[in-house]
Amino acid sequence: MRKDITVAAEVRASRGKNEARRTRRAGQIPAVVYGAFQDPVSVAVNPREILKIIHSNTGYNTIFNLAVAGGETTPVMLVDQQVDPVKGYMLHADFKRIDLAKRIRISVPVHTTGEAKGVKVQGGLLETITRVIEIECLPDEIPEGFTVDVTELMIGQAKRASDVALAGSMKLVSSPDTVIAHAVALRAEEVVAPAAEAVVAPEAGAAGTPAEPEVIKKGKKEEEAPAEEKGKKK
Amino acid sequence: MMMPKKVKYRKQQRGRMAGKAWRGSSISFGDFGLKAMECGWVTDRQIEAARVAMTRSIKRGGKVWIRLFPDKPITKKPAETRMGKGKGAPEQWVAVIRPGKILFEMEGVDRPTAQAAMRLAAHKFAIRTKFIGREDAE
Repeated sequence: MRKDITVAAEVRASRGKNEARRTRRAGQIPAVVYGAFQDPVSVAVNPREILKIIHSNTGYNTIFNLAVAGGETTPVMLVDQQVDPVKGYMLHADFKRIDLAKRIRISVPVHTTGEAKGVKVQGGLLETITRVIEIECLPDEIPEGFTVDVTELMIGQAKRASDVALAGSMKLVSSPDTVIAHAVALRAEEVVAPAAEAVVAPEAGAAGTPAEPEVIKKGKKEEEAPAEEKGKKK
Repeated sequence: MMMPKKVKYRKQQRGRMAGKAWRGSSISFGDFGLKAMECGWVTDRQIEAARVAMTRSIKRGGKVWIRLFPDKPITKKPAETRMGKGKGAPEQWVAVIRPGKILFEMEGVDRPTAQAAMRLAAHKFAIRTKFIGREDAE
């Protein structure tokens, strides 16, 4: 979905990890803009503005304007990002130029609504398998997300990508058979059995016979050949 | 206990634990997860204890994913043995954990239940962990 937001960006003249580190210390993050058959441009942007866009209702599928200092202002979309695995802050972002007249392929989140009968009545578990589906549409048609009603789901039944109601000229790219959510029976035995194992296992360890995995040996031919040679020598 | 079915070599050197977990650092399957905040070894027994604590806590509700596997053998010499005479026998299996690694994931339970279960699991480990949700990560 297109939003009337403009994010300022500065062109980065130098590259490399040291320069990227200096950029981050200055409160910005290194980013790159590419696509639309134009040359890629290395830029630096404020991560707070990007995070604000990501946390909006339209999330990653927001099309916004990127105003590159000394360059042009183009509609872009955040297509990739690097995040610190511990702290969670953004390290780098990839922006793709969007041609508003051309159809694009995007991943749209799918949410489930309602409590499945398989959970409420039968005591099963609703398992969400796919959280995003890929669709093809015009940039102005990008939805915030899809909602699938799972109220009627019984154990063994599933909602698939083909059950998602697409509007306008949207076309499903993901396989129509892709399972979005299904109700499954809870396996009670699975919970009990390992608990029993856990009680038994220390005893086995105490007996001094720790199970060891099989060691993959090298090719038998190599071992047999020297043995034969030795036999011949004797 | 979790351990590999087949290995190429029975014993390994200790190795290093530098850096962060760039892979396996985001929630992939469930709604909630337990993230390692420092590096360390997590043994097969600790994983099993954490799993049992979690599954008992959520009382048959929800699903748990174990995102770590102990594939490193740790050897130990017997007690009162003189030095030398080679490396000890494999004693246990550990998973080498780097900060950022998602250890467990959970789905099908509400946030307070998941948080309480993960708290019990976190107490089984010798490393600092953090409870995270899918919405926190994004």
